[in-house]
Amino acid sequence: MKQRTFALLIVTVLLASFLVMGPAAAQSDTLTIASGTDIENLNIHIVTSSPSFSVLEHIYEPLFSMSPEGELEPLLAESIEATSDTTYRITLKEGISFTDGTPLNAEAVKANLDWVLDEANGAPFRFLLVVNGEPAEVAVVDEYTLEITTAAPFAPLPAHLSHGALGIISPALLEQGADAMASNAVGTGPYVLESWSRAEEVVLKRNPDYWGEAPAIETLVFKVVQEDGARIVEIEAGTVDVAVRVPPAEIPRLEANPNIDVVVTPGLRTIYVFFNVNNEPFDDVRVRQAVNYAVDTQAIVDNLFEGAALVSTAPFAPPIFGYAEQQPYERDVERARQLLAEAGVEEGTTVVLYHPTGRYVQDALVADAIRAQLAEVGLNVELRTLEWTQYVPHVRRPMEEGNDVQFAMLGWSTPTMDADYALFALFHSSEVPPGFNGSFYSNPEVDRLLEEARSTLDPEARKAAYSEAISIIWEEAPWLFLYSEIQVTAIRNNVSGFIVHPDESLIATFAEKN
Amino acid sequence: MTQFIIRRLLLALPTLIGASFLVFWSIRLVPGDPALALAGELATPEYIAQVREKLGLDQPILIQYANYIGNVLQGDMGRSVRSGIPVLEEIQIRLPRTLLLASISLIVSSVFGIAIGVTSATKPNSWFDGGSMIFALLGVSMPIFWLGLMLMIFFSVLLPQWFGLPGPVLPPTGSGTWQHLVMPVIALAANSMALQARMTRACMLEVLQQDYIRTARAKGQQERLVIYRHGLRNALLPIVTVLGLQFGTLLGGAVLTETVFAWPGIGRLLVDAIAFRDYPIVQGAVLVIATGFVLTNLFVDILYAYLDPRIRYA
Repeated sequence: MKQRTFALLIVTVLLASFLVMGPAAAQSDTLTIASGTDIENLNIHIVTSSPSFSVLEHIYEPLFSMSPEGELEPLLAESIEATSDTTYRITLKEGISFTDGTPLNAEAVKANLDWVLDEANGAPFRFLLVVNGEPAEVAVVDEYTLEITTAAPFAPLPAHLSHGALGIISPALLEQGADAMASNAVGTGPYVLESWSRAEEVVLKRNPDYWGEAPAIETLVFKVVQEDGARIVEIEAGTVDVAVRVPPAEIPRLEANPNIDVVVTPGLRTIYVFFNVNNEPFDDVRVRQAVNYAVDTQAIVDNLFEGAALVSTAPFAPPIFGYAEQQPYERDVERARQLLAEAGVEEGTTVVLYHPTGRYVQDALVADAIRAQLAEVGLNVELRTLEWTQYVPHVRRPMEEGNDVQFAMLGWSTPTMDADYALFALFHSSEVPPGFNGSFYSNPEVDRLLEEARSTLDPEARKAAYSEAISIIWEEAPWLFLYSEIQVTAIRNNVSGFIVHPDESLIATFAEKN
Repeated sequence: MTQFIIRRLLLALPTLIGASFLVFWSIRLVPGDPALALAGELATPEYIAQVREKLGLDQPILIQYANYIGNVLQGDMGRSVRSGIPVLEEIQIRLPRTLLLASISLIVSSVFGIAIGVTSATKPNSWFDGGSMIFALLGVSMPIFWLGLMLMIFFSVLLPQWFGLPGPVLPPTGSGTWQHLVMPVIALAANSMALQARMTRACMLEVLQQDYIRTARAKGQQERLVIYRHGLRNALLPIVTVLGLQFGTLLGGAVLTETVFAWPGIGRLLVDAIAFRDYPIVQGAVLVIATGFVLTNLFVDILYAYLDPRIRYA
């Protein structure tokens, strides 16, 4: 009797769930994106994570935008011209208003850039507007014109102005201070904030008065689904239209699903191992080259990433301005052994490789693969790892503080999509620790080329300088060049026009759903 | 009784202060600098020092702690290092969600757990007993994480496929409606239900051997009354103890369930905060969970007196 009641109860519950169906597949005017993490807050000048930028870039627009192909296009700005070596004059589009009715003008832009430049506000992307340690100066010329003056000639400035963190916030909101900016959002973009339920979802509605072409999708939902497996279930169930960060192992499964497209986008983060060129044995270029020959990067990419990474062909990723493709060091055990012998490195020499654990995809496994492959050329690698917040200060100590690091794994992302950001801080001799040049790499010719490329405004001349610098760096191998990351996104195939940007932001403005 | 409650509540204060100090002190022992985590890997040493000063991390730990407790007593638990959002606000959003999930899971698991346990005990070594104990063993050993994903695939992907339904039977993740509760509750309740079934069975088997049960039966009382009034009530003491502990665990330990089902509860808040060295959030969340434990224990103690009239608190 009791068992029968129990069974009956279960059947009833099941039936009830069938009848009162959960949310059916989303409607055609709503696009739901399963994102891995929640936004930090709503202040675009303060946030740092790509999920935050993905949401906020639909509300806020910077002066320029960087296309996924790396082309700089005017957005709120109409045009930009250099009036001297150190001054840019920017003309704004006319007739644009913030969604609170405040007009967009030169004063509003100046107020935003000054807010970012004010050190007291702690804007993490302040460095975008700082040249040689000196903050840029912003001056209003007239209603729709402003001038930005830097301490030294600085060609990447227009690219820097396209960074999401320099999106323009309504001056009315800006005046209310950081707390208000963190909990409210008023911009000029194609969408407006509808609601933010912390740790759950952000909902955006189409801006009915948008100055540009109106987006097709009425409502955007950025839903926080932290667990990789759960995001996969969501996209398979059709309860979301887009799922980010698909784990490599799930790619074949999703590709087999006729309702889902798997989209692969190159990323902007390069993973590398830097050699400290001050410390033995990597003070000898032959040893550094030998390690590059000994490590089979392609095998690492194939086996640990299911192919979802890109073997490095330059010290930074292909979508970045200034990229110049180099011939990768193909695995050659004989050559590596020979170079080591020439350099006098004995068989069985022990070297210590530092690596982070859990900071980058598969980082510890990659370090172990390097250890195994170097063993084959007679180098005995000892692996050491540290908790991330300890790791960076440890591997990037000044020599005076007893830096005994031999080689260490790190990643570097180039959100400005300009080679200046990717190379200057990492390879210019003025940037040795506590700067970011952990290799202590120093080559006067590379220094000169990087300085020239930074101060020349002609894009072709810049490209040429970068190309030359890259080939020198490639030859002298202050790094073990590894790979750059790839983003894998799953999109329901009734969605078109959805853009996954190399900088990891997701653009739904041009998306359509049928 | 009132005196007992007041005394227990007063005793809870040093417990909470002790717990909060332990947390305060131990998360500062963990290697890793929140100033660095906040400032980002691109920060200059000057900026990191500035951040450290702003967070008060340059002060001796006892002074930091005294400041913290002083602020908490005034209802200010600080702001999240990462998002700048007040900790209290964050907890106010998360706590009700966790309480909801934990209490429904506890109700479901104890109703089914105790029912299964009692039935098994009254028919020891029957097929029901064997079957339910195997089931209980499965429940105890099944990782919540895995069970959660399997439920999700079953209800949201496979069932609609088999029956050609337009959408999933249950929404895979999120919160807000009762449908959102079903899978997290099953996942969370499975484990404690299994534990309670086994516990109840063991206690009942022991109680049913007692003389007074024989006496009750000899008096000609209905079997149902014998089992529930004379048997279960006497077997309940250890079961209630386990229940109390379970609730405490559910409060802080729903992390996995909350993560799999994207349920915005306090456990997930805590784990995210630990990963980011978000001290104020960690401290606030632990304080809340510790308070939950203390209150639950107090409630269990009071329940003892009700269940067993021989227990008196003077």
